[in-house]
Amino acid sequence: MQPLIEFKNVRKSNDDFELGPINLSFEPGTITALVGKNGAGKSTFFKLLMNLVSPTEGDIFIKGQSILGENEDWKKKISYQPQSLNGVNSFTGKELKKLVSHYYPTWDDDLFTKLVHQFELPLSKAFGKLSQGVQKQLSLALTIPRDTEILLLDEPTAHMDIPTKQILMDCLVDWMDRGDKMILIASHQVEDIRKLADYLVLFQKGKIVGNYVKEELVAQYKRYWLESSLSAQPLPGEIARKGERLIISNHPLETEAHLRKENQRWLDAESLDLEDIISIVLNNERKG
Amino acid sequence: MHLPIRLTKESREPIYHQIENQIKALISSGQLKTGTPLPSIRALSKDLEISVITIRRAYQNLEYQGFIKTTQGKGTFVADIEDALKEKVKVEAVYKAIEGAIETALRHDYTPTEVEKIFQSIIAAYKKKEE
Repeated sequence: MQPLIEFKNVRKSNDDFELGPINLSFEPGTITALVGKNGAGKSTFFKLLMNLVSPTEGDIFIKGQSILGENEDWKKKISYQPQSLNGVNSFTGKELKKLVSHYYPTWDDDLFTKLVHQFELPLSKAFGKLSQGVQKQLSLALTIPRDTEILLLDEPTAHMDIPTKQILMDCLVDWMDRGDKMILIASHQVEDIRKLADYLVLFQKGKIVGNYVKEELVAQYKRYWLESSLSAQPLPGEIARKGERLIISNHPLETEAHLRKENQRWLDAESLDLEDIISIVLNNERKG
Repeated sequence: MHLPIRLTKESREPIYHQIENQIKALISSGQLKTGTPLPSIRALSKDLEISVITIRRAYQNLEYQGFIKTTQGKGTFVADIEDALKEKVKVEAVYKAIEGAIETALRHDYTPTEVEKIFQSIIAAYKKKEE
């Protein structure tokens, strides 16, 4: 299958920030979560993909077409919801819709109407007069109905109340079922990642430290409660211990083989929460 | 539609297999009748918090074994499966459950003879209840 998006050796250098090299590709039918601390490079990643900033090196392709060339057909295949919309404060929702829908031949007006209704959005109020949460919802209602093959969401659920988050997730699930769509979502909300993501791409200080299928990442980590105290020597696979009888391993099979050989039993072996795993990976990489 | 599927991340049984077996059990027991629509791969992925990659694998196996069928543009439905196949799944499920119980007992250092005694006493209690 031809990837919808391909990053080839992409690097971006600024005075104080270095992103890349990035080599990644994304296929239709998938949702990928971009995860990392603030300033790790996720928003720059989106800006590179929208050609809002130019890479220092490398090239980016959408359906095989470089986004750096003269031809800008790719722009109709991708929609981007930035963290915040700038320069639109004096426009009303109605005016913004007119502008946006005009640009996208795939604009789905029924979906827009449905979202406006579900989010209970006031369309005749100026954008600047809306609360942060409502601004975000309006921004989403102006983005998803573009109905392009690729959807980029930067922190879509920040400032959003719980019922509205549910509506958004259901909407994105239905939208994916239209077929041959893909979503890249940058989020600090572990709930978004758990419910929506197929893949997790982890960013650490401008570097990509891993690209995982969600449950394969989860399966890599286990917590063991041992029957008796441990020796001071770290065990194979051990990455952390608490007290004398609790260890966390990132190579469960090796740890278990060692424990068996040593006749050391465990009372319980448990998977870790996605949240714990993300923290471990992102904190460890910093030390290493 | 929401399916009553419960996954055990601690289990040695791979997740796609757990999903596959639980859907099979729902079909074989008649809880999901022929023609019942199943959730889309993406919707089940959200409910179970498991990637579409794994859900697709379970659905593909179920389709290959004749439990479900997918119609382009319409979705996935419970297929019309033979009674013999239903029966086979039931027998397998019961054998597996009992095997699991025996393995638990052996892990706790019971001998097979002791396990047999426990089994007999539980069966006796059930029979008494039925009378």
